[in-house]
Formats: sequence, C-alpha cells, structure tokens
Amino acid sequence: MTARKSETKMITVTIDGKSCQAELGETILQIARANGIYIPTMCYLTKVEPIASCRMCVVNVEGVDGLILSCQEKATDGAVITTNNEEIFKQRQNIMKLYDVNHPLECGVCDKSGECDLQNKTMEFDVDQQSFTAREQSRPVENWGFISYDPALCIMCEKCVHVCNEVIGDEALAISVGGYNSTIINTKQDQDCSQCGECMAVCPVGALVSTDFKYSSNAWELEKIPASCSHCSAACQMYYEVKEGSIDNPQPKIYRATNNYEFSSLCGAGRFGFDFENREASRDPDAFSRALDAFRKAETISFSGTISNEEALILQKFKEKSGVKLICDEVRGYQRFAEAFSSVTGTTLYHGDLKKLSQSKGVVVLGTRINDDAPMVKYHLTMASKRHRARIAYMHPLEDAAIQNIITQFMKYEVGSEEGVAALLAKTLLEGKAVPDEIRAYLDDLDIGNLSAESNIGEEELDKLKKSLWKKSGFTLVAGADLYGHPQAENIARLLGLIEHYSEFDVMLIPPATNALGVSLICDLDDSATGYTVGYNTTGDYVLSALGDGDLDMPALNQQEGTFSSVDKRVVPTHVALPYHGYVLNDILNALGFKERYTIGYTGKLPREKGFSSVVFDALPDYYDITGEEHRGYLLKSTAVEKDGRLEAVAALPAYDGAVLYQCNEGAQFSAFTHKTEQLKSDSRLKGSAQFATVAKLKEGDSVKFVLQGVAYQRVFTIDTSLKGTVAINPTFDRGLSSASVSYYRFSQPKLEKMDSKDE
Amino acid sequence: MSLEQFKNRNVGSQTYKMIESEPTPESGMGRFGQVVKRTFKGELFVGLYVTMREMINALFIGEMHTVKYPLEKLPISPRYRAIHDMLRLLESGHYRCIGCGLCEKICISDCIKMDTRYDENQRKEVSEYTINFGRCIFCGYCAEVCPELAIVHGGRYENASEQRAGFSLFEDMLTPIDALKDQKEFDGFGAVTPNADNAIKKTPLAY
Repeated sequence: MTARKSETKMITVTIDGKSCQAELGETILQIARANGIYIPTMCYLTKVEPIASCRMCVVNVEGVDGLILSCQEKATDGAVITTNNEEIFKQRQNIMKLYDVNHPLECGVCDKSGECDLQNKTMEFDVDQQSFTAREQSRPVENWGFISYDPALCIMCEKCVHVCNEVIGDEALAISVGGYNSTIINTKQDQDCSQCGECMAVCPVGALVSTDFKYSSNAWELEKIPASCSHCSAACQMYYEVKEGSIDNPQPKIYRATNNYEFSSLCGAGRFGFDFENREASRDPDAFSRALDAFRKAETISFSGTISNEEALILQKFKEKSGVKLICDEVRGYQRFAEAFSSVTGTTLYHGDLKKLSQSKGVVVLGTRINDDAPMVKYHLTMASKRHRARIAYMHPLEDAAIQNIITQFMKYEVGSEEGVAALLAKTLLEGKAVPDEIRAYLDDLDIGNLSAESNIGEEELDKLKKSLWKKSGFTLVAGADLYGHPQAENIARLLGLIEHYSEFDVMLIPPATNALGVSLICDLDDSATGYTVGYNTTGDYVLSALGDGDLDMPALNQQEGTFSSVDKRVVPTHVALPYHGYVLNDILNALGFKERYTIGYTGKLPREKGFSSVVFDALPDYYDITGEEHRGYLLKSTAVEKDGRLEAVAALPAYDGAVLYQCNEGAQFSAFTHKTEQLKSDSRLKGSAQFATVAKLKEGDSVKFVLQGVAYQRVFTIDTSLKGTVAINPTFDRGLSSASVSYYRFSQPKLEKMDSKDE
Repeated sequence: MSLEQFKNRNVGSQTYKMIESEPTPESGMGRFGQVVKRTFKGELFVGLYVTMREMINALFIGEMHTVKYPLEKLPISPRYRAIHDMLRLLESGHYRCIGCGLCEKICISDCIKMDTRYDENQRKEVSEYTINFGRCIFCGYCAEVCPELAIVHGGRYENASEQRAGFSLFEDMLTPIDALKDQKEFDGFGAVTPNADNAIKKTPLAY
C-alpha cells in the first residue's frame, strides 16, 4: 500500500515547454492534466484503467519515433513532450472524421446534445463534412430496463464496458467484436444487471440513455443542483437536474440524477430514485400549533437515521434544553457498537475508508449483505479485486450470487454466531502480532474447536484466509449491520477493535442508515421510549413525516439543505433541489425558543469535540479537482478516547434452527423513501430457497403473516433459486414510517402464519 | 450611403425650393377679400371633379385605390413576421417539428415552451407546444434557428385581443391536414437560400 511505498521517486518532465513535477509511475496524461495542460481524449475515464481505444491522446516524445498514447504511457524522468503540433492535429482530426462516419445527424432530438463529447470534439477539430463512407446496417434500439441502448449512436469508446467490469463488478456489458459492426452487448439483460446506470453516465454520446428520461428534456434546460445522495451512508456526490414540470403543471420537477462520473460513481438507487420529495406540504398554522403542543408535552422524540447532521443537532439541543429522550432505532445499535469499538482502539472513528478499501490487497467482509446494504462499498471491493487482485473473504450466513465474481473465499457461518466468528477472526488475524499479554491470554483461552463447530467456520477455512493474506499488505475489514443489532454486539465490537488496533487491518463499520454516523456522533441517544412520543419519519403518538403521511409534513432530503456524515467519515453538503412549502423542524424549534434563522445555521455549530469542524455551510467545498481528489465538505477528525474496553468471554452461541427471516432491502431499495420513487422496482415479496419453503411449509405464491418487533407484515412468498439454506429475505422498505424502526438483530424467527385465500 | 446631405442643416445650400406665398393681409377688408377670392377660385370644383371621377371609376369601371379591409387584404412580403405557422412535411403530412427545443432556447422574450416525450414509434414527440403572443416580439429568431423549417412566420397579423396574454397551441398554428396541398414553402426569414442545392456537398456513398 501507499504507506509502504512512501519513498516514491519524483521526476521532472517538460510538457509543451512547461516543466512539471510528478511522481514516478504517473502517466503523461495525468501529469499534463495536473498541470493544466489540455490533451483531448475520447475514451479516457479517470476512474478506470486506461482504455486506449480512441488514440486521441497521442503526443510526441522527443527522441521516440512515432506518436505515444499519453493515457497509458508512464512518463520517464526528463522526457520532453509536445502535446500538439500540425501532425498530431491531423491525426486527431482523422480520428474524429472516422468517429463521425455515418453517425446519425439526430443531434436535434438526441438527449446528449449540448453535453456530447462527440459534438464538442467534432467542432474542435473542424470536421464539417463526411469524406469517407461505410455501408450502414439496421441496428435497432435496445431496451435494457432503466437503460436504452442505441447502437447507431455508439462510438465504441468502451467506457461503459470498463466501468461495468472494473468499478461496478456486474460484468454485464461486453463488446461484440466485428469491425464496423461492433456493438456493446448486455450479457445479463435477462438476469437483470444491477441497473446502476453507471454505463449511461459515462457514455460520451447518446448511445446509452435513461429510458425514463429519454427525449423529455434537453440537457441545457436542466439546472444542476449539487447534492449528496440521501439513500445510504455512502452519501455519494450527485446532481439533481431540475426544470419546471410541464406546460400544464409548471411546478419544478427533478428530471434525472447525474453525478461527476469522471471521478465518482452512483448506484441505481441514487440515479433512478430521485423523486421522493414531499409534494403536498403547505403551511397550516393550526397543524403547526398542534405540533408545538406535541413537542411541549413530548417525553420522547423518536427519529430515523435518514436525517441531516443539522437536524440531529437541533434535536440534541432540544434534549439538552428540555430533557426529552432521543430514540433512533436505526442508529442506537451502531452507536453502542462504535463506542465499544472505540473503547479498544482508543479513537472515536474507525480507520478504514473507501479509497483505502479500493487499494486493499486483502479484504474481509463480515456481517453484511454488502451488495444490497452498501453498493458503493461493493464497488470499491470490485476495484480492489480487479486492480489489485485483492483476496476478498465474504463471511455471511447467506451466499450472494451477485458478488461471486469478486469474492475469493466465501465463509458461511451459522445465523447468530457472529460473536464466535469475530473471536475466530481476531485469533486468526492477530496470530504472531504483538499484543498485550492479557489479550493474548484471552485469545489463547478461546475454545477454538467449539466456536468453530458452533459457527461452522472451519479451522482450515481460517488457515486458508491466513495463507491468502501471506506476504501481502493493505487490508480492510468491512463490518456491517448484522452485527449492530446482535445481542453480543458490544463484545463483537471490541473483538473487531482488537483487529483494527493490533493488526494491519483497517476496519470500516458501515453505518446502517444514511446519517447513522452523524447521529451517533451528535446525539446522546436513549435506549427506550417512554410516555408521549413524537416521531420524526418514524412512528409515534404525533408524527412529523417527509413521506407525507404524518400529522405534520416535513421536507424530504431533496428539499433540504444540510450535511451528512458518510461512511467515508466525510461531512458532505447537500442542497435544496425542489421547493418546499411547509414547515421544517427548525421552525418548530424556533417557535419553542431557539434562535437560528436557517437549519444550516447549525452546520458551523456541530460538535468539534466529536470530530466536526466549525465550518459554516456556505464555506463547504463540493467538487473534485482535475486529478480526481475529492473536495467535498471536510473529513471528520478522529479524537482520542479512553481505552477501557474489557473483553468478555464469548457467550454461548445461539442456535437458529428452522426457518429464519433476514431483514434486508434488496437491490436499489433502501428505505421508505426509495419505495416512494416512481422508477425503482418494488419487489416486496418474501424470498427464500426451495429448502426454506420446505422447512417453513410454504409454496410459491403463498401469503404469509408475521409480526416482527410489533410491525405486522403480510407477504407473498416466492422461491428464489439463487438462494440456499433456510434463511429467507424479508424486505422492510415498504413499511412506511415503521421501516425505520429496525433496532433488532436482522435475523429472526417469527411465527409464520399462512393465510387462506379468503383472508386476503 | 453617406449621411452628409442629411447632416447639412444650412437651409439654402441644399436643393430645397422655397414656396412663394402671398403676404398675409393686414386689414379686415384684406382678409375678407382673401376668403372671397379663395372661395370662388374654382379649385373647389377641381376637387369635386376628382372625387366624382374616382367614384365612377370605382363603381362602374372597377378601378379602386383602396382595399375593402377586412374583406380584402393587401399582399404582404414573405419576410413579414406575423403569427407563426407550423408546417407539415409535404410527402407524409407529419408535422415537421422534431422537438429539438432550439426555438425555446433562442427565444429572447421567453414565450415559447414545449414538452416532449418518447413516443410509441421511438421518436421524440412534441406533446405540448405553446407560444405566448402577449410576450412575443416577433423577432423571427425561432424561425431562423429552426433546423427543419417547421416553425415559420405566417401572415396573420391581426392579433388584437381582450387579454394581454394570448397563448397559441401547436394545433392552432399547424397547417390543417386538409389544407396541406395549399401549404406554401416558406421563403422568408430563416429559409434556405435559393442556391442551397449547389452549395451542398453530398456524402459519398459506396453503394
């Protein structure tokens, strides 16, 4: 990893007469860009390895015959490079002439017109006529679900294929090679690729476009609102593209979501689930005064983790002032877990981050169905796998067919045995490391045979893991939401803390909700609610809801400005994409005696002792620089805490025999907000394997009833052949306000009641 | 053209001709005499004769110098810029507009608005199109920028209305399908040049 190679050699190259300093190993194009020198490219995409299909980036290197591809050629010390002269211009112009052969002249209707690379470069290189010819063939438009592909417009730059394979890891797109007949094919069209839409984001022309957006607006009419995605804790950079709705209804509307595709990615939920705004809200003074009454008599305020840092701070300040209890079911488990973790590591935050993860040579994923829980983390796993051939061990009770191509070792453990697994991992990964005697004694005392038998993680599997990491460096352990709700969560956290503190592993604790990290740092959460409860985006006696079904409307996160704390430990800003006509939380608290005109007035007041910086909202940067360095908001600072964590003996591992349900929102669904959007498919069936069907005595299409933590579910059961074992996947996103009240262990065994057809 | 002759304001040095007029009478008698003289000079009958002649020409010979507006209208230049027309393709009868949005973009009084969508035939369909003629300044940019000669200026200049805002929809401006054979190719502001055919270089075809 970079830390090991810290003694990087600096070189000096001269590009167009400008002397440029760079690290050895950087390509000519990278050095040129970093120094503000323009080299035209068509196929170059910063976030993937050089594709080298366009040959636009050719440069002249003194003393070298012929032209050099600057995108993939690493600069040597003292090289003298010319990026443009008559010969190079002719070369590039010829490339553009070839790109333009038979390219349909439909710029007038094309979605890409106005932001099209081909248009720009055609103009730049003065191609105003077609002097070559080729026989055109019939190439029908294909519909791949959310994405449409028009082969006639495709210029075969291969960006989409590379991003699909190298970043997303779906391996869905491929090239059908055939000279002029070459096209991009979607090999997983029938199996439904994950529909992330990254391919259409990187497409430089109008070949890959959104089926929903197609032909509905021109690029130049849309106003780009910079934002951070509010669906999961990755809080990815994105833009909401807004324009007035239509002639009949001129209310502003989000037409699409885009991102800075050159440097960052977005999953399907962010890209296609953008219309979750609270449309109906209005200012009703009576409802507002009822809300004030509710706040005055509230003993408890319960809220979801889908909240900005500022609002979390408002609630915390309200607690400090009036002594209400704060409940956040989604976050409390995480907060306790993180505290226990810190009590061993001695710092408030975990050390892993997404960039380090993508450069890791060995990764262990524990307690999360990563592809569904945190797609962005999965993308970084893919990058580690594809670029660094990382060994990726995936430990989970459920096998996930979608990530089979990137994981090198699947270790299936029994449901409920996470503590044992964490202990086994700690023992394996800390073997031979310098640890204090008491910890060494604790590890030596572990009953490996028993733990291994109970958890079903074999010693040979652990040996294999150990061996695969041999002589490598740069490791990350990714831990997820299964652990936070576990009855022994705190001990698991301490065991993972040991791994972070005493081994070379960096740990990432994936926050289980959008701003779980922020809430866990800002709010002083209580364990259980008492008395009259005000619910904010969750259930309560009086409900404030951005879903539009509560007693008082609140703005959804695309109607608010504020900041989120992301899994990358970064405080990122988001802006108002759509107008909101109702009251916000800040109005209520102002009426109760607080004095802050805008919610974002709290941004600079976020607690510094918890790692926040006192930067005012309007001063937060939100961009990527030309080299791809992220300048969004600021990084949270890790502060020292007392190391007083005491390891407990591993409790007897619970047994979950028979049919088990796993709470997991699959695919692009994360919460009630993604469920509300128009495009995202909502499959709220209970999915299980044939084995589960046998154990639970269910047939395909049966309706079942069950109660989980007081929330009644009614589901249609379906057999999913990609699943194995006796664990079925039960989504929670369609439960509206109660979607956010998931504080418990994700695996459970409720009584499944089969419903007769007349019950329905 | 040089503006010098207009800038020269020294009366007498140009080709002006001074009109000779009688001196204004000073006395009351003099003024009375002038009235009598002018009244009975016979010029009155010249005027009556001209009127009679024109009336007879108009009524019996059919020569008339005015038009019976609004029953009759004078022909206007193709470059005249009045209420817009939306043209159809002569062959298929389909409307020419492709929904590119350039007229909407270029409109300097921001009076054009269009909605487009992806239709069943995989084409971009203009689902709604309006022009607010209360705002339109008839500058002609929309017709000039239109790549399909779909939106053009027609000759309908009578747009007095009770309200200031007056919206026209696409269908109002579109050539009625039964009047397609009477649709004239537009050769006003933004039309192709007469020698456009010669200026085009054709794409080579190998087949």
